[in-house]
Amino acid sequence: MLRNRRKEALFAGLLVAPFVAIYGLVFVYPTIKLFMISFTDAPLIGEGSYVGLENYTRLASDRRFATAVWNTGYFVLLTVVPGTLVAFAIALGVNRLAGRLQAAVLALFFLPYILPVSVVYLIWDWTLNFQFGIAMHLFDLFGIPRVPVFKSSAWFMPAVGLITIWWTAGFSILLFLAGLRTIPAEIYEAAALDNSSRWATFRRITWPLMWPVTALVLTIQLILQLKIFDQVYLFSTGGRPNDNLVLVYYVFQRAFQSDQGGRAAAVAVVLFVIVMVVSVLNFQLTRLSGGRTR
Amino acid sequence: MPNWFKLSKALLVAGGLMTSVAHAEETVIWWDFLSGGDGVRMKQLISDFNAAHQGKIKIDATTLEWGTPFYSKVQTSVAVGEAPDIMTYHASRIPLGVKQGVLQEITPDDWKAMGLSQSDYDAATWDAITIDGKQYAVPLDTHPIVLYYNKDLLKKAGALGDDGRPKGMASREGFTATLRALKEAGVKYPLGSVTADGNFMFRTIYSFMGQQGGELMTDGEFLAGDNAKKLENALTVLAEWTKEGLQSTYTDYPATVALFTSGEAAMMINGVWEVPTMTDLHKNGKLFEWGAVELPVIFDKPATYADSHTFAIPANKGKDMTPEKRAAVLEVVSWISKNSLFWATAGHIPAYGPVTQSAEYKAMEPNATYSSLTANMIFDPKTPLAGIAGPIFDVMSNFFVPTLNGEMEPSKAVEEIKAGLEDL
Repeated sequence: MLRNRRKEALFAGLLVAPFVAIYGLVFVYPTIKLFMISFTDAPLIGEGSYVGLENYTRLASDRRFATAVWNTGYFVLLTVVPGTLVAFAIALGVNRLAGRLQAAVLALFFLPYILPVSVVYLIWDWTLNFQFGIAMHLFDLFGIPRVPVFKSSAWFMPAVGLITIWWTAGFSILLFLAGLRTIPAEIYEAAALDNSSRWATFRRITWPLMWPVTALVLTIQLILQLKIFDQVYLFSTGGRPNDNLVLVYYVFQRAFQSDQGGRAAAVAVVLFVIVMVVSVLNFQLTRLSGGRTR
Repeated sequence: MPNWFKLSKALLVAGGLMTSVAHAEETVIWWDFLSGGDGVRMKQLISDFNAAHQGKIKIDATTLEWGTPFYSKVQTSVAVGEAPDIMTYHASRIPLGVKQGVLQEITPDDWKAMGLSQSDYDAATWDAITIDGKQYAVPLDTHPIVLYYNKDLLKKAGALGDDGRPKGMASREGFTATLRALKEAGVKYPLGSVTADGNFMFRTIYSFMGQQGGELMTDGEFLAGDNAKKLENALTVLAEWTKEGLQSTYTDYPATVALFTSGEAAMMINGVWEVPTMTDLHKNGKLFEWGAVELPVIFDKPATYADSHTFAIPANKGKDMTPEKRAAVLEVVSWISKNSLFWATAGHIPAYGPVTQSAEYKAMEPNATYSSLTANMIFDPKTPLAGIAGPIFDVMSNFFVPTLNGEMEPSKAVEEIKAGLEDL
């Protein structure tokens, strides 16, 4: 059969055109614009004049920027690996169940994930509020002094990290479960025939075969947690926002509270670069280490 | 055929009627951020206005989220010409609003058209809406903070004076003694303070600074001279009350109100906008005998932080208001200002002088008791960095929570605040 190459290319172009147009309009153009604004002293809305690299150089001595970088890193450390491991463990457990019970348990674990962040905030505020929180009454019962969880800088990040894992684990569990189901039962049967211990089965079969899924979950989590904003914003309202700053929150502060679009854009560019570098590194590392264990 | 003709003729007539009606009635698009007990009262005022101007002017009102969300939306909508015809605005945000080009000037002709003038307003209030000799808003009210108190508990502790006000309102020692008396009488929290919310505490701390004649900004310099020391003094007083167990710790806004209304806290420093909450609860027999007075004088002279709700006209880009529309907007502002006696039931002190001087207002309680503070009001410093949810608010409040709850020394907090302000 003869095929008209040119016609086909035209057709293909026509089919992807709507996507390319929208992608260009809502992603490529704003991104280029962001880079351009970061070299100006523009307010939130309107043009500014060119200031060169000033917005970037002043970040070096900006204490709030330092706090934001530190907190974002700390948060990633608290959530990415622990969150992935917790989800994996739960998925292994759920996988052992069968039928309706499995569906019911899975639904229970997935439920928090469908909650909007504002609801998550309210639930946990009711639980951990210093004056009226339910948990505080439990503390009183056992004679433990009350802890102002969201108002002390030592407790804030761990608490928000824990809540984030509770909130987002459902999605990772689904991915792991889908992965576990693709491992053929025959392999396990063969291992059982060879009298392999449970730990050896996990170590030699489940873990390596699941590695691609684990790597995917890790990458998704990493990118997601680097961009954390909502939880930190909600939980620190009125308290100590400047001590609990994370990068996106700092962008928001500069842009919307201080009306400094240029400086906000510079921080956003830095975050953009960090996310790119870290996720590429993460992908390469997980690929390499995956290859070695296999 | 004749059917078609008839139909189109009827349509034409109907269309003509509709446009003429639309022409006669001006719709004024209104945005506000009043969502509490005061919002309910504002809705009442708006519907009264609509009833009084039937067929001429109609207000189409929307209530938006208070604070940063409201002001971001105003800024973006002005830039694309989609802002409302009239909006509420905090006086403390006016310097920033003018810098952003968000606000239209209220011209002398406008004031004349509204039948309002400078002499109707308090000097401090008028000054708060004036930038470089031009006015950018029409003040509706001033809303200071006051001291709420539980008469029953105070009486039990022997801390209620014969005039029905708390004892020891004239000095730091006196007020601390009152708090101690309450503690000894078994009150859990003598003073309910919003200690978990630095934004809120800004108001109290700024008042205490004002009581020492302190300023946040002197000729563009933050906390110049001994002003840093005055801030430290203000923080020290509050930190000491915490240390002695005289005020609630790590308490957020709703919890503070709940502590007071449930009788666990005997006194509370809060905005006048909580007056309707108390009035309504008391009316339903769910609240003790209560009162509200001007803040105690902890330092040299009385001073209370206040902000002002004002009406402002957005400078919509690429969209000029018709003279008819502007006249309608001015009528809205003028009518509501002149009928703001009802607004006083929301606790706020109306800005329009003739209302506060009226006999009806003077008979209103507890408003009449605390309205004496109008003479001692201090507003935010006039800079684009100030105002509700502005950068100064933000930097300072960050260090209030640890200080007020005994985690940080006041002197250290002042140091950090100064460094933070200079980073701006």
